Amino acid sequence: MNLQPDDFWSVQQWLFRDGKVLESAALKGVVLLVLGMLLGALIGYVISALRYGPGEAFYAVAKAVRDFFIVDLPGTRFQRIFALAKLAFTEARRRKVLFVVALFLLILMLAGWFLNPDSDDPARLYIVFVLTATNYLMLILALFISCFSLPQDIEQRTIYTIVTKPVRITEIIMGRFLGFLAICTVMLLPMGLASYVFVVRGLSHSHLTAENVQRDEQTGQITGETDYVRKHKHKFTIEPGETQGLTDTLRGHQHLVTLDESDGEMNITFGAPVGHLRARIPRYGEIQFYDRNGNPKEAGIDVGQERMGGGYAQSGMARLVGVAKEARKLEHSYVEGGRSLSKAEFTFSDVDAGRYQELGHLPIGVSVRAYRSHKGKIDQVIHYTLSLQNPKTGARTVPRDFPVDEYVVAELPFPLKSEGVVRGEDGEEVTRELDLFEDLVSDDGQLQIVLKCVEGGQYVGVTKSGIYLSDGESRFGWNLTKAYISIWLQMAMIIAFGVMWSTMLNGPVAMLATGVCVLMGFASEMIYGIRHNLDAKINLGGGPIEALVRTLKQDAMTTELDVEGFANVVIKKADAVIIYGLDVIATSLPNLPRMVSTAEYAAGGVDIFSALLARHAIVTLGYCVLAYFASYFILKSREIAS
Amino acid sequence: MNQSAQLKRKLIYIAIILACIIPLYLLGRPTGGGDDAGGQLAQMRNAYEFSEANLGEISPASSTMKLATVGMRGVAATLLWQKAHEYKVKHEWDRLRAALNNISLLQPRYDKVWEHQAHNLAYNVSVQFDDYRQRYEMVREGTEYLERGVRLNRKAPRLIWYTGWFYGHKIGTSDEKKEFRVLFADDTEQHTRLANQGLPIFDARAEGPNNKPDNWLVSNLWLEKGAAMVDAGVKLRRITAINFFETGPKAIFKFAEAIEKEGTYNEKTQDAWVRAADGWAEFGRRSLPTTSNITVRLGALEDRLEEHGRVFDRFKVLCGPLYTEREKELVGTLTGTYLDVYQKDPKDRSKAEQRLMPEIKRLIRPDVKLLLAELPADKRLKGIELIDNMIQLEDRIRRIEGYREQINYSYWESLAMAEQEERTIEARRLIYEAKKFADNAQLKESLEKYEEAFELWAEIFDDYPILTIDDSADDLYESVRQYMIALDSNDLPEGFPLETFVELMAEESYARVEMYEEVRETQKEKAAQRRRELEEEERKRDAADAEQAKADAEKAAEMKAAEGNQDTSRDAAAEKAEAEDKPADAQATEDKDNAAEKADEEPVAEGDKISEGQAVKEEAAAEKQGANEAGSDETPEQPTSDGNPAGEAAAENQPPPPAESN
Repeated sequence: MNLQPDDFWSVQQWLFRDGKVLESAALKGVVLLVLGMLLGALIGYVISALRYGPGEAFYAVAKAVRDFFIVDLPGTRFQRIFALAKLAFTEARRRKVLFVVALFLLILMLAGWFLNPDSDDPARLYIVFVLTATNYLMLILALFISCFSLPQDIEQRTIYTIVTKPVRITEIIMGRFLGFLAICTVMLLPMGLASYVFVVRGLSHSHLTAENVQRDEQTGQITGETDYVRKHKHKFTIEPGETQGLTDTLRGHQHLVTLDESDGEMNITFGAPVGHLRARIPRYGEIQFYDRNGNPKEAGIDVGQERMGGGYAQSGMARLVGVAKEARKLEHSYVEGGRSLSKAEFTFSDVDAGRYQELGHLPIGVSVRAYRSHKGKIDQVIHYTLSLQNPKTGARTVPRDFPVDEYVVAELPFPLKSEGVVRGEDGEEVTRELDLFEDLVSDDGQLQIVLKCVEGGQYVGVTKSGIYLSDGESRFGWNLTKAYISIWLQMAMIIAFGVMWSTMLNGPVAMLATGVCVLMGFASEMIYGIRHNLDAKINLGGGPIEALVRTLKQDAMTTELDVEGFANVVIKKADAVIIYGLDVIATSLPNLPRMVSTAEYAAGGVDIFSALLARHAIVTLGYCVLAYFASYFILKSREIAS
Repeated sequence: MNQSAQLKRKLIYIAIILACIIPLYLLGRPTGGGDDAGGQLAQMRNAYEFSEANLGEISPASSTMKLATVGMRGVAATLLWQKAHEYKVKHEWDRLRAALNNISLLQPRYDKVWEHQAHNLAYNVSVQFDDYRQRYEMVREGTEYLERGVRLNRKAPRLIWYTGWFYGHKIGTSDEKKEFRVLFADDTEQHTRLANQGLPIFDARAEGPNNKPDNWLVSNLWLEKGAAMVDAGVKLRRITAINFFETGPKAIFKFAEAIEKEGTYNEKTQDAWVRAADGWAEFGRRSLPTTSNITVRLGALEDRLEEHGRVFDRFKVLCGPLYTEREKELVGTLTGTYLDVYQKDPKDRSKAEQRLMPEIKRLIRPDVKLLLAELPADKRLKGIELIDNMIQLEDRIRRIEGYREQINYSYWESLAMAEQEERTIEARRLIYEAKKFADNAQLKESLEKYEEAFELWAEIFDDYPILTIDDSADDLYESVRQYMIALDSNDLPEGFPLETFVELMAEESYARVEMYEEVRETQKEKAAQRRRELEEEERKRDAADAEQAKADAEKAAEMKAAEGNQDTSRDAAAEKAEAEDKPADAQATEDKDNAAEKADEEPVAEGDKISEGQAVKEEAAAEKQGANEAGSDETPEQPTSDGNPAGEAAAENQPPPPAESN
């Protein structure tokens, strides 16, 4: 899992961006809310103006605004909302939406064709699969449920049975929203449960027999191998005198080994796999790279690996108004090995002495990549060293050497006391045993970990999330629940959008409009990318019209557009208008891919950050409120109009 | 609307539906088994062997996936390809594999897909890992993927070929080849998997020097399987026949080279080279389709040249003295250097002059078509026939030569011959040991071994100059440098056996290219000479052995007779003697053949030594003719198929393997 800068933000950092107002989420929220209300009012005005003329319409809109704040909102009663919600729930249930759960179960049953339990990290594959399957299924379902109800009521005039009752428009909208949300929630629960069972059971396997079991004559240690199941076999050791041992970690899991010698023979049994469903709680630090001369740099060496696009959204409104232009994306940056001074320095804050003292070691998680610029010793992996360092006094431990184990998280417990170099009072450096909390953690609770590559001419790559201090472990079940909460939030957002569009348009069109919102939300990074290319004059095929022309003319996208004169200008200008327009719309829509990506956390065995979930909840609430306002004004103006 | 109108409308609907169903039924009816061939579509499927069962293993998962995409298979596949690329960029290997698996479910019969993605895994993805064991895992993933493709595509020989290529080249020529080969040899799970697919992996044919399956030999097994598939009538697509068939025997060459590099210098090495030679010879006997309507056999160049010579001789006989007259006239037109060179005794010609000879001969060769015009009417028809025959043969020879050149046929032929000699294996072993000594800082021993090795190498290069431009020549050159380092000298000692070789290697690469051309010209002659030498040696050895055996048998018989046990043992001894005589007899017959061949070739050897190609053959024949005009009667009559291209091609087409052509 490659975390991006915004993944690390706390709710406060995200809302206010430490003074960068233009990039803050708060500003975006306010702007959207104001725009939403204005848009709602404008649409309402247009609708009533068509009926009563511009002057009258103005009063109607003004009255609607007044009604909203003075009459409808204060007068909204929960009982009525509940009754309406129940109605919506029953209506949706009668439309047999529950069959989607059956569909999901069917997909799970057929999943064996897509999922390979023999892969290197099956847990990752399984979790991502169940989460994305649920996610897309529920988004589509929310789309269907929310868009058809109101237009149908209006068309069949069944709405009059409701509006003639003493209910307020605020209650009608809220009732629908909550009713649909309730039915989706009811469906999400069994799906979540089924997913959990599917993942746990799908990954379960048992090794039945032990092979090549040998007892060391001198030490009495027992070593052996498990049988070959699901394309792997573990090695295990049982220490002398013990009846239990552990296998090595392969494909993200271990087994407990039990020895039974009661009948005079060595009977070895293996337990169920453990350790493949994790939810680590990491504490990340700030990363600083140094080049080969020891000068601080923003990033390490780029070894030229291909990269995916994206990373524009984090600049918020600053990007839309053209202040921030570049993509902000964290990719692996490399440090050079050998005698070079190149290194990556991670600074951790608030290092809590008590916790690690209790643990007896400093748990460090490392995930790095290697890159070779020459063959080197081909039968040996690249090595890196880690050393702990006090950012204030410069006291540092002797570097410890580790082999690079790519694409897994290596958990390295560092001893609390180790040999190191410290500057004595006379200014001379002396070597002595250093204590983690007395010598290495500074007074303000900071600790640095320095990463270097060992082999000359070879490189070790890392990102900010590459090295972390482990703050313990959460439960996998709870982590999966958090991922499901994220799906639930997305669902709520889609329902709000669906209800909003259905107040104005008829069923299929409302669904189309909501669908477009979802798709544009998903494609937002692509749209930002095209806008970026346009601003930076990077010729990569241009906008939609230019792209169409190129497709028809079969021109490569890096060549100049082969259209002369005025037509060229028209194409470019029209494209610019379309792109900027799309950019504005995409910016105002929720960034759904970011929310879907919480699945990556669960799959990567990392506890979903509470801050991230809280941010998603705030975003959802914001869009729901926005949609609520818009829905109210539109429906109100239609009420007035009819 | 009244009821009758409604009924009428419904009836019309039913009639229309029925009218639509009948053609649909005729078109799409499935086969009922037995004589029932089914509807039009089923028949066509059958005729083109297009049904799922014909194409390869049936995969219900794949069929369901295809159905589940409700006609959007293309879109789904495109999205998956895009996803697969994305996962590759993000280094999400597990998901990449899952995506590839899904792609293959959607496009199971599209062989290029298997090939592309397997290559992706084995070549592009594997190198992303730092640990060679993980790299090997990925290479294995790639080959497994490909093998799945093979099972699902019974008519894609290229997939099999590619699988063989992976086993050979990916495992055997990567930077990590040493480690990969060991990993493969120890990969028992993989071996079992291969055995389950019907590959005779535990056969002696696949066994390397440590009695474990060797990747190159497994590669060869795959390639042979592919060749068998083509021989059974499956059409080759997207690969030329020459490329397809040459890879199999070459894998054995590579095997032999690999085990030598790893320090195996015993009878296994020799066996490997003999196998390589046999494989190459078999490849030479194989009919290969060409771009035109004929097939050729790369090993049949000599035969075709001889045949051409014979036809030419017959033409000359047909022309009678006219030919010699015209030739004399043309000799008269020679001037300057050409004339001087021509008039010289062949033995006195310098190398440069020898190189001029083919051109001179071309100049003095009368144009057969002009000669034809001068022939009397009764001979003209026969003349036309012979000229036609010659033109066709020339075309065939040109093609054979072209194809041989493409894959450097004669180089591999000589290589196998040179390397299977004990002398060469010994030379390589000495170098290997010298290096080992040098590594252990045992300089004296190292120098001794080097010197011994260089002596042998000098002999080998004398017999097989083509080896001087071989890859291993670079290694040897490196050894010479190591030797100089060990000597602690910048100059080679006086009378260093490989002096010429070192000079050659010191040349610029373009100079070596020129030299290469020259070496290639002379190699053939040298090879023939060496072959004769070896045969002679072998004959002597066998004769001596036979003699010995005979003597032993007689002795034994006498002894037994003396013992008085006459009835049984004498018979046995006699039988033994007879049995041992047989090979000697057979050898004698072979020798006779060889002698005959030698006699045939003698004019070539005696005449101008430029040799090579048809010009020489013709010339040799011409000289023979000129020397003994009366002897023309001895020229064997050509078979009746003369001048009949179809018959000719058919002759080329004869088994071993049936190949499609014409």
